[in-house]
Amino acid sequence: MRRVGLFLFLSIMVMPVLAGPPVVEIEIRDHLFFPDEVKIPANTKVKLLVKNMDPTAEEFESYELNREKVIAGNSQAFIFIGPLPAGVYPFFGEFFPKTAQGKVIAE
Amino acid sequence: MLLNAVVIVLREVLEASLIISVFLALSQILNRSLKWMLLALVLGLISGFIYAGTISTVSMAFGGIGQEIVNATINILIFIALIIFVYAIPHQTNQRCRQLTVIAIMSTVILAIMREGSEVLLFITGFIGVPDLLGPVLMGGAVGAGLGVSVGVFIYYFIVNLIPRYGVWVGYLLLLLVAGSLMSQAVEFLIQADLLTSSEPVWNSSNIIDEHSVAGQLLFALLGYEATPQTSQVIAYICSMTALFCVAMFSFIKRDRN
Repeated sequence: MRRVGLFLFLSIMVMPVLAGPPVVEIEIRDHLFFPDEVKIPANTKVKLLVKNMDPTAEEFESYELNREKVIAGNSQAFIFIGPLPAGVYPFFGEFFPKTAQGKVIAE
Repeated sequence: MLLNAVVIVLREVLEASLIISVFLALSQILNRSLKWMLLALVLGLISGFIYAGTISTVSMAFGGIGQEIVNATINILIFIALIIFVYAIPHQTNQRCRQLTVIAIMSTVILAIMREGSEVLLFITGFIGVPDLLGPVLMGGAVGAGLGVSVGVFIYYFIVNLIPRYGVWVGYLLLLLVAGSLMSQAVEFLIQADLLTSSEPVWNSSNIIDEHSVAGQLLFALLGYEATPQTSQVIAYICSMTALFCVAMFSFIKRDRN
């Protein structure tokens, strides 16, 4: 009985993780975003997983999304965005703004 | 790369130097000794190094929202230090209030340098493996840091050299703006971490003052300007200013009564 209880308890604990928002992956390579256009459903919360493959740090920044997060070299970070009304939301790498440019398209 | 480094380092240093210079100027006007400053500066730099060095681990903590939690906590702690500071500073004849002032100043300086310094360090140390760019980045960083510190020094002397009564008011006005900006940013971090719910922006002023523009950037450093703020950010901004204002008034009235 106790084991069943423990199982139920653990299942409930894990549920929010399983039911979490969809994850969209973006890579930073040579100070460029891949992909540089990210399509997400409108009015839905999304979890961006930004993987920085460069040895240099980068700051994911977007005025339109109101987001900023430093990602150390050769590491990764999660950023929650949305729910967003349909539209285009540019983002950039603050440390290499000339090349590191991208946009989120909510539709 | 040079110009980019100037802008990035300037932005970070400006945020820290604004708040530190206002604190110092108010302490100066209200006769507070500054001997603890140096220690706080050193401790701030050490904390900045540690935060920068552990940023990947911190980021992935708490299911990937560690950085937001640490940054929001830093902002909230600085806000609490501001409240303690404005409460204690008019009562410098009281031994306990003198200690509180020192604690408030030290924690603010340490936290502000830790947060802004760690970003500067992460930006610059990334170039250690890129010899071609390291020179320009260090050069640009030095120029940016120099500019940021100069603005702080300017604000300090500006406030200190005003007629003391006006100086205090200018200082308090700047502290109010800093407080609003800190708490609105803290809320933004909590929204980014999905700990607070995101809402539609209250307004969109990006066609009047764009956050990308120089004016937008300056207004952000000074007022915490956002072109598309969320409801909770606006509430946090107004409430934190009101709280600081009330504590400051209460403390002055209490002193005048005694």
